[in-house]
Amino acid sequence: MIIIAIVIGCVLGALIGINVPNISYTYSGYLAIAIVAALDSVFGGITSVLKGNFDLKIFISGFFGNAILSILLTWLGVKLNVDIYLAAIVVFVGRMFTNLAIIRRYYIDKWSKKVIKEDTKNENKKKTMGEG
Amino acid sequence: MKKGQVTITITIGIVFFILTAVIFIQFKTINQTDITSLENMREDELRTEISNFKQKVEEVSKEISDTDDKIEEYQEAINSNREASNILAKELEQQNNILGKNDVKGSGVIITLTDTQAQKITPEDLRELLNELKTDGAEAISINGQRIVYDSYIVDIGGTFISVNGERIVSPYEVKAIGNPTYLESGLSKKQYGYIDTKLEEGKDVSLKRENNILINKYNGDLNMEYVKEVE
Repeated sequence: MIIIAIVIGCVLGALIGINVPNISYTYSGYLAIAIVAALDSVFGGITSVLKGNFDLKIFISGFFGNAILSILLTWLGVKLNVDIYLAAIVVFVGRMFTNLAIIRRYYIDKWSKKVIKEDTKNENKKKTMGEG
Repeated sequence: MKKGQVTITITIGIVFFILTAVIFIQFKTINQTDITSLENMREDELRTEISNFKQKVEEVSKEISDTDDKIEEYQEAINSNREASNILAKELEQQNNILGKNDVKGSGVIITLTDTQAQKITPEDLRELLNELKTDGAEAISINGQRIVYDSYIVDIGGTFISVNGERIVSPYEVKAIGNPTYLESGLSKKQYGYIDTKLEEGKDVSLKRENNILINKYNGDLNMEYVKEVE
């Protein structure tokens, strides 16, 4: 059900995004940081789902809060003449990799457990056949 | 399905909707933007561009000032040339005045010699008069409008006419001379052996008039030399 919602959201978003007028190039930098922050939240959300401690409030607040905060920090960096957006990107992308690693490990674990299970099952079968 | 699950589903759908929309907007913006166009440059790029332009402007203005300097030099050269040519033109004018190629005017005397019943004026009288005038410092002389130049001649044609520069002239002979009027007058009217007295004694009609503004026309003929060569 959730996957259907995600697919519909993505398709609608793509359609709307393609048809919406361009934003100014000056602001596209801020938008890029916001996108990275949002993606980080999404991966964080997936990780928490897998761990079983997913909380919608934390996910939503992280999604919008991180995006807005990163935009503000980038803006502050421009005002201070410091490339703060680099720090934001490092943090968010780093966390994205960490979360991806967790997700990967989870599925690999699941898969290898399944294989072992099937192996033991087969062995059991052979044994019974051999006995038979 | 529970109510909480519906909320979660819708919320996550909206979140993904927003995320994809923003991502696609960004894609489109980056795709369609010409990074090199001025409106889309970042501030530091613009600064670099401005400083480049400033440098260019400096170079160009330097060139301009160099060119201006050169122009000034040329102008000066032109002016000095003009001065030189002015001086030359003045000199030429003076030479022409001396040669008799220009109309000239000035103070001097006018001597009128008229034929009478008894005595006719001879070329010799005129030549004598010219000699006398030149001795007294006349700078320009003409006889009946014929300018006397370096190769002027006064001759008798068949005892009837007098020819000056090849032109026939008749009485009364009006000799105009520009020079210091006092010198000219006193030179001509010396007592007893002066020109006027001598001629009057011979019975010829001679009269002298002082004038401040005498106009003497230029010589009409050519002043060419064919055989004379300048010595190097």
